[in-house]
Parts: sequence; C-alpha cells; structure tokens
Amino acid sequence: MSVPVSQMWTVATYVLGQKLRGRKRYPLVLMLEPLFRCNLACAGCGKIQYPAHILKKHLTVEQCLAAVEECGAPMVSIPGGEPLMYPDISRLVRELVARRKYVYLCTNAILLKEKLGEGLFEPSKYLSFSVHMDGLREEHDEAVCREGIFDQAVEGIRDALRRGFRVTTNTTLFDGVDPGRMRQFFDEMMDLGVEGMMISPGYSYSKAPDQEHFLRRQRANELFSSILSRAKKSWRFNQSPLFLQFLMGRRDFECTPWGNPTYNMFGWQRPCYLLQEGYAGTFKELLETTRWEKYGRSSGNEKCRDCMVHCGHEPSAVDATFSSWRGFRDTVVATVSGRL
Amino acid sequence: MSDEDKSLEGWSPEIADAETLAAVVEHAFDYRGDITLDLDDGRRIDGYLFNRNRDVAEPFVQMFERGEVTPSTIPYARIRAVRFTGKDTAAGNSYAAWLRLRQAAKAASGS
Repeated sequence: MSVPVSQMWTVATYVLGQKLRGRKRYPLVLMLEPLFRCNLACAGCGKIQYPAHILKKHLTVEQCLAAVEECGAPMVSIPGGEPLMYPDISRLVRELVARRKYVYLCTNAILLKEKLGEGLFEPSKYLSFSVHMDGLREEHDEAVCREGIFDQAVEGIRDALRRGFRVTTNTTLFDGVDPGRMRQFFDEMMDLGVEGMMISPGYSYSKAPDQEHFLRRQRANELFSSILSRAKKSWRFNQSPLFLQFLMGRRDFECTPWGNPTYNMFGWQRPCYLLQEGYAGTFKELLETTRWEKYGRSSGNEKCRDCMVHCGHEPSAVDATFSSWRGFRDTVVATVSGRL
Repeated sequence: MSDEDKSLEGWSPEIADAETLAAVVEHAFDYRGDITLDLDDGRRIDGYLFNRNRDVAEPFVQMFERGEVTPSTIPYARIRAVRFTGKDTAAGNSYAAWLRLRQAAKAASGS
C-alpha cells in the first residue's frame, strides 16, 4: 500500500477522534465539485449532462472553502467536471494545502502538462494528482470516447512526476474488462512511477447513460478476484486493503453514504456521490435530515443493491480498521505484506 | 426503447391537482434540460430545476434561472404549469449510441 505515513497518521487520529467523541456519522473525504464542465464526454459519465448555462457556472473559492470548513473531513477530493478547467484551481489548491487538507485533484490530465508548465501548483505532501486511467491505451481511449487521451495522460503523469508531484491513478472497471489486460495496466502504471492506484467498480448510477456496462456485485467479485488474487509485490494501491478485499468478495461492508459527502453548485448532495436524490443547504442539514435508513444494501433499495463503489464502501473499510483489534491487525498485515 | 424515445423534451403535462404537480416536479428534477414554470402571478421562468423538497411545511423547488447567478426557491403552491422546454442533454448520449456512431464511422472510413 502506498499512502504516506503522515497521511495515514492524520486519517488514523481523525477517525479515532471521531470515535472517542461518539460520532456515529462522520465524513472522511469531501468530494468537492467546483464545476461540471469537462473537456471530455465519457459515455459512463452523467455529470456533464446539463444545459450550457449550468456547465458555464462554477463555485467560488470562498464557497469551496466554506464547504471544506463546514464538513471538516481531513481529505478533499476534487472531481468534477475537469478541475483543471476551473479558473481558480491554483488558489483553491493553495488554500486547501495551507489548511493541511490532503487534496486529490482528480483529472483526466489532458491539461496537466500545460497547467504545470504555467506554474499553477507547487509540490506538496498534501497534494496528489489523481489521474483518471481506465486501462491500457485501447481500453482507456474507448472509455473516454476519444482517441489519443491515454498518451496525453501518460505525458502529463510523467511531467508531474518529473516535477516532484505526488501522482496516483483512479480506475473504474466496467463489465467486459479483461483481467490479464488490467494486470498489464497495473504493471505499466507502476513502471511509470505513480505513487499508487485506486480502483473501483462501475456503478449503478441512475443518471449515467451506460447502465448496461456497470458491474453487478457477483460479477464484480469475480472480476476483482481474478485481477487481485495474485497481486504482484510491485503493485501499490492508494486505498484501504480491506476495501480491496471487499471488492474481491472476501469481506462484506455496508455502505457509509455520508463518508464521502459531495458538495457542488447545487448544495450538499443526497444521499451520496452517485445517487442524486436532492440537495441540502448545509452539511449539518444533510446529516440530520437525510433518511439514511433508506440507503445501503441492507435497506433493500434497489439502487444500492449492487453498488460496491469506493465512495460508500471505502469509508466503511477505514471505519472497520479502527472499530476492532482484528480490523486493525488485518489492515496492518495486508499493508505490510502486500497480500490481499 | 432507445434513450431518444424516453426523452420528455417538449412535454407540457396537464396539472390537475397537487399529486400530479408533485409527480411532474419529480420528472422535472430528473430531467437534464431546462424547464419553464408558469407561476400564479402570471410570471414565467426558464431554467434548470436541480432540487425539490416535499418533506417540509412549505414544499419548494430550486432552480437556476438562465442568466442568474444565485438559485431561486419557488413554493409548489405557486406553480401552475411545468413545461419541458429545454434540450434534453442526456438524450442520445448513451454508451450504445456512441458505439453505434463509432462503428458507423469506422465502416465509412473502411477500417
């Protein structure tokens, strides 16, 4: 596993602090969407399907910072849209780093080399570029519906690494993925020198147009098992090993939809990053007025039945690490040995 | 049925009562295009409806009107008509549609 010790320490003390305070529901990663605009139109993405006047809007840095303060999560993920198209991305990142938030700037990396060249960012242990990579060249270009994007992303990754930035990858696996090709992809990303990889199954996201290619739970378990069962020592994942075991079907977790709350120009999204069932005006209102019992697999909600996505289940895995000695021991063993 | 067939673009439903209004608002909330609301004072507003809440004393919708920076909040009680006037940005953008286009382009280029 590749999460830096300082980050692990921050997360560990934060989670333990929440538990000591008896907080049943606490956020781990704020999903901050400053805009929906993107320079790609991936078939699996429902985020960009808005009228032009909505795509032209974005949050102000002050709105973003107020959300970060209100939420209090130690990590901030900036997806979108494409965050490198956000006009104030440099200032936003600088302010977040000054607040010692661990920032994952989720980008397709088309603009990465250009923005780095303009000096928009400075390397920091708090800043990681999380580059969207859905597989090897052929698979990635097909997933993003445009040829040549894989090569551009690789170029961006190389440039960021050369300049001393932390770089991770984030990969969504859809049905039909060839496990052998995915293992090859992991090798290639490690050879590139990225710090770690994040993986997640495609999801039953009701507004995404590519429903037929999202993975059902059983198939997801089989796929992740075949990819990760004989995980190579050289592979590093920037996520909880218990979550990876969950993907392989070796553990079961209930969803923690409040774990990665989403904030965008519409407000605090209910109930989670994937389902869009309404918005709350404040984070407090989100926590207190969302009917959480209606969500997660055990609720019987058919939208949640097959979901195994990281935004709901990785917080569950992290919580499990700090809920029992066994969870802690299993996490440490998997982290140290690299065995899943 | 294709995605295109499912689009509500151009729909102007009759709203006879509060339950019908609530159902139409749900459709408007799911709709990925602008809508037009006719209000009780004769005003007509165009924009993107992004939220609604019926679990409060005075149910409301929220929308970004075209050209406005801040969102508006409009009580259900003031809405007389909901029309799906804007382009449905989700229609025809399925993965299957993209594959069809890609295959057609490849066939046309002979590759």
